[in-house]
Amino acid sequence: MTDSAAVSTAHAVAAPAPDAPKIAVRNLDFFYKDFRALKGISLDIPTRQVTAIIGPSGCGKSTLLRVLNRIYAIYPKLQARGEVLLDGENILDPHYSLNRLRSKVGMVFQKPVPFPMSIHDNIAYGIRHHEKLGRAEMDARVEQALRQAALWDEVKDKLKQNALGLSGGQQQRLCIARAIALRPDVLLLDEPTSALDPIATGRIEQLIEELKRDYTIVIVTHNMQQAARCSDLTAFMYLGELVEFDRTETIFTRPAKRQTEDYITGRFG
Amino acid sequence: MAGSASLYRRRAIKNALALGLGVIATLFGLFWLVWILGVTFIRGIDALKPALFTQMTPPPGADGGLANAFFGSMLMSLMALAIGAPIGVCAGTWLAEYARRTRLGGTIRFLNDILLSAPSIVLGLFVYTLVVAHTRQFSALAGALALALLVIPVVVRTTDEMLQLVPSTMREAALSLGVPQWKMVLQILLRASRAGIVTGILLALARISGETAPLLFTALNNQFWSADVTKPMASVPVVIFQFAMSPFESWHALAWAGAFVVTLFVLALSLISRFLLARSKVTHD
Repeated sequence: MTDSAAVSTAHAVAAPAPDAPKIAVRNLDFFYKDFRALKGISLDIPTRQVTAIIGPSGCGKSTLLRVLNRIYAIYPKLQARGEVLLDGENILDPHYSLNRLRSKVGMVFQKPVPFPMSIHDNIAYGIRHHEKLGRAEMDARVEQALRQAALWDEVKDKLKQNALGLSGGQQQRLCIARAIALRPDVLLLDEPTSALDPIATGRIEQLIEELKRDYTIVIVTHNMQQAARCSDLTAFMYLGELVEFDRTETIFTRPAKRQTEDYITGRFG
Repeated sequence: MAGSASLYRRRAIKNALALGLGVIATLFGLFWLVWILGVTFIRGIDALKPALFTQMTPPPGADGGLANAFFGSMLMSLMALAIGAPIGVCAGTWLAEYARRTRLGGTIRFLNDILLSAPSIVLGLFVYTLVVAHTRQFSALAGALALALLVIPVVVRTTDEMLQLVPSTMREAALSLGVPQWKMVLQILLRASRAGIVTGILLALARISGETAPLLFTALNNQFWSADVTKPMASVPVVIFQFAMSPFESWHALAWAGAFVVTLFVLALSLISRFLLARSKVTHD
């Protein structure tokens, strides 16, 4: 609770301009040991919009996403240089608390990874770490998160059952619910549908459309149609560089760069 | 087509050959196993009566049982688990989660593997020189300590391996909620690999319940009922060793009965641990 109070005062002091980006990446370089995986990336991710990052395998799109909540930092010998400003504050600054960063920036991974506990506890687990809630409040928060993730109706009668019994698509929505239960500002989705069948994929895409009312969403995807369907902005990356970043309809209809056009028309990648 | 037909036939012959050799090797191994199990069963079942569990080890020629030995084995094994399992789980967790790619971790993993295959008599002698020689007293505690040294490497190894099997995305998912690493390890990872770790502990129990060498120099033996852990204590393997080497028929029968019970116990432990592991795999998918 003290943490969130501190956040809101910090917010009031450095009140960003209304059209300021939620996340501003500035000259970001990323190194796996000596290999430079990101080369001078700069882009602005706007508030409450869906930003898609596309590009062929190994272009650095997942790497970029993993910088935004510093999850890369759990592995040794990885290094990010440059600035990533979240509401104007540099999250790469070692003084920026990881606890605070990750409560503001949630993440959903390629493969759904429910924790080995009940459906209810999967959602409550993260909340419990950040806030002390009474039982009724907690139940309400769990329900709210599951409703937002369009999973409530399917699981409301089996909240005490093990989450590993859910289908792949349900598990992925559970993971989304788990992330949004912390009420983050930003939601990072790392190829969230690549392990799912088309019907489950459709549901997740529909969900993304609904979630962008409340959250700033960044989605990495292999699937260009998916980027075209559910994003407002699209960034095309190639070999660690940001080739082009624009409104999604511009990228897919009138790309400025030859490389972008070649990629989206399927000539390589 | 003629070429491919002969190719298929060659493959079929190779397949039959490999399969045949495999079956022969399996039967060869099973033959001895079944023989050993059969002999302990047949000889043991003769001496198996309720008195086995209620009466003390007898003097030669008299009737008796192995009650004090069973009790001693159980007490020392449980003490060994109580000492060894927590140390093993902690060390295995450290290896897998905090030192996975470090040189120190690699070195300790290697040393643990050496300890895993160390002859148990060496561990018995080690505890003898360290404890028994200083206290000038054989004791159940020293026996438990020697057994604990056998438990630790088994539990370290299985904990380490089970934690490494947990996908790294599970760690990332927990950490991306802002949870610190120690909470993630305690509340998510150890829970995810619980079945495997319990299996490791059961396998360690199976291993020590048949060990004689580490107890010979530490707990020694005791003809009588004793629950004092600072005094010598009987154990089933040592009693089997003593009775089987003796010239007395009645002692031989008791040794067979003890061997049969220990074999059954180890078999049951193996079955339980296999069952646990199989069940945990189903829920992981």
